[in-house]
Amino acid sequence: MAATQPRNALGMKSYLAIWVGLLCIVGIEVFLTYRHLSSDRLLLFLLIFAFIEAGIAVMFFMHLKYERPSLFWSLIPALLFVLFMMDHFWPDALRLEHLRVVHW
Amino acid sequence: MSESEGVMAGHEALREESPYGIQHKKLGIWLFILSDAVTFASILFAYGYVRVGSTDWTTPFAFSPTIVNGMVMTFVLLASSVTMLGALEAAKNENPSRCLAWLGVTVLLGTLFAVLHIREWLRMIGEGWRLFQNPVGGPALFGATFFSITGLHLGHVIAGIVAILVVAIKYHRRRTDESHVETVGLYWHFVDVVWMFVFPLVYLMNAK
Repeated sequence: MAATQPRNALGMKSYLAIWVGLLCIVGIEVFLTYRHLSSDRLLLFLLIFAFIEAGIAVMFFMHLKYERPSLFWSLIPALLFVLFMMDHFWPDALRLEHLRVVHW
Repeated sequence: MSESEGVMAGHEALREESPYGIQHKKLGIWLFILSDAVTFASILFAYGYVRVGSTDWTTPFAFSPTIVNGMVMTFVLLASSVTMLGALEAAKNENPSRCLAWLGVTVLLGTLFAVLHIREWLRMIGEGWRLFQNPVGGPALFGATFFSITGLHLGHVIAGIVAILVVAIKYHRRRTDESHVETVGLYWHFVDVVWMFVFPLVYLMNAK
């Protein structure tokens, strides 16, 4: 059976360099944790770094960068749209606290 | 051309090329990964809102041993992604023994991650943490979110170890090829990607 890995994918040296880069980002996350930021600010920074890490891993480790663009455009915008909608609809559930039924 | 060959040739003509230029198993694992990503995202979103919305949330994790243990687990899981890439590289270069060696290292690293994870759980359970019990007096939701999120991830890690072992055994018997190594590798990298969110959100956000 023909190989399915894209031929222009990176070599092991490049993967090791990416691995070191990802570990550095984890180090930055730990450093930020002990900067005593407010919890919402810390959450924002950690999410930004987590998305950067995930993007690097998906594009290079999972080879999405080397697939046809149609695969990327079919998968990633749909996922981001779902995450965006979750982000907008989850806080709506907080209204329940103010709509709580009073039991007599 | 025989009659049967003629029929098959007709079917070939009806077959459309994949718009993505990949095998169906690879498209299948990508679609699975996408749906699984939404599952993890939903529980992480729920946790995130509860965590930020609570004024008396418990932050019990000391730098040592919990955060250090989490950093070691991150190191191990990220390393296992690189060894999985080594297995794929070897399979692509038609070097089965090297591929099997890399798959073996990946399984060992995955097992080490699971052992570190379970050790962390046992330590917390020993301190009195339960799904709905907080021994230090904060919201009981801490245990519920921590054990459910990390438990779901640990389940994925264990499933990944089993999947890699199955592919490795079949690869050794020449019943699978590099496309199967790549498919199981995609799943393994996804488990790694999920941990990139679990470690900062569940461990670092709850550091003392």
